[in-house]
Amino acid sequence: MAERVILCIGTKKGLFVAEAAKGRRRFEMRGPFGSGVEVYAALIDRRGSPRIYASSCNAFFGMKILRSNDLGRKFKETKSAPAFPENDGRAVANIWSLETGKTKKELWCGVEPAALFRSNDYGNTWEMILGISNHDHARQWHPGNGGLCMHTILRDGNRVHLGISTGGHYLSEDGGQTFAAANEGIGAGFVPDPYPEFGQCVHKIAGHPDVPGRLYMQNHGGWEERPGIGVLRSDDHGHTWYSIAKGLPSDFGFPIIVHPHDPDTVFVMPLDPMTRTCPDAAPAVWRSENGGSSWKRLAKGFPRKETFFTVLRDGMDIDDLKKPALYFGTTTGQLWMGRDGGEEWTCLFDALPPINCVKVAVV
Amino acid sequence: MTVSIYIASTLRTYVRESRAELTSSAATVQEALDQLKREHASLYRSVCDETGAVRRHVHLFVNDDFIHDRAGLETQLAPGDVLAIMPAVSGG
Repeated sequence: MAERVILCIGTKKGLFVAEAAKGRRRFEMRGPFGSGVEVYAALIDRRGSPRIYASSCNAFFGMKILRSNDLGRKFKETKSAPAFPENDGRAVANIWSLETGKTKKELWCGVEPAALFRSNDYGNTWEMILGISNHDHARQWHPGNGGLCMHTILRDGNRVHLGISTGGHYLSEDGGQTFAAANEGIGAGFVPDPYPEFGQCVHKIAGHPDVPGRLYMQNHGGWEERPGIGVLRSDDHGHTWYSIAKGLPSDFGFPIIVHPHDPDTVFVMPLDPMTRTCPDAAPAVWRSENGGSSWKRLAKGFPRKETFFTVLRDGMDIDDLKKPALYFGTTTGQLWMGRDGGEEWTCLFDALPPINCVKVAVV
Repeated sequence: MTVSIYIASTLRTYVRESRAELTSSAATVQEALDQLKREHASLYRSVCDETGAVRRHVHLFVNDDFIHDRAGLETQLAPGDVLAIMPAVSGG
């Protein structure tokens, strides 16, 4: 079967799946799945026979995990979803991240309140990973506006990077047994100490498998008195971080994405920190092709004014075709595609429910 | 003694054969939930979170009475009573 581009769009009203041939000329939509229920996390697992997973964050009846074995034509709930042990005292309020593990059957899942779970059977049963979920700091983390969420899980061999809002960046170097706060250089504008040991409002972390020591971070910036802390880079596996925000119109934003074929190319969407919409109400993605030393504004195809949407932390992704396209979903229900690494933008869908997350894969 | 547990339609997917009604010999609402936990785990997880608390948007009624207008989870059940599990009205 010819390769297809599969888009998973997690919205306030369920999961939509869009599919196109590699030319990406026309996407066909199906869904919503988990109808009427918020989806904050999706995963297209290409290992072996492709599977799609999505969180179904049901405000009425609790958290569920949806799984499809046929590229999103049908979904079924897995036998169980992550849940805290009975005597823990916490209850899962949301599921924010789903990532692949070491084996085809293994999945990792980050939840709210911030904790990490692992499944070894395609999501049917889950165990809590104690090294971070019961970390000494865990009861000192505080929720940000989106809740106390573990939104980023990046695996690199025995290293595991976690992003927590608001908890900061935590790093394991023993496969997830133990974790330590690794926040040197990551600032916070909402506490007296500008560089606390932990408690930062990290928005998203991204990396590239070819250069695992280098990471990029969209942190909660937009602080007049602490400029530049919003867009960061690490060259030592996340132990220390430094600003790469110079040249951007704002260092506030949510998603951060790395080009699949070039670890030097990174994308952000700067937002005004008060309205959380693009500066001057004119949407733009910004791209650096030199690891954050300089930035270029990409806006061809977007409205030039009077546009007030937000793109959330998992609302942007990039495919891995030879000339990759970016995709982002907005809180106003638009799904945009930017061909040639964001050089030219097209609105694929104009009236979806508010979009929480977008994931793409070529299968 | 036997009481009935009425399952709202949105929750029947978690009950074998999508049944609308279960039977119980529980003497209190809490005992009925404990029975659901043992015998209908998926349904129970949709009604109560992992701390045992009834989910915020789920309401329990004994006959026509909201359980919080009686004795909450300790509300006594008598033969012939109906314990109804309903989604709460939420939103506009």
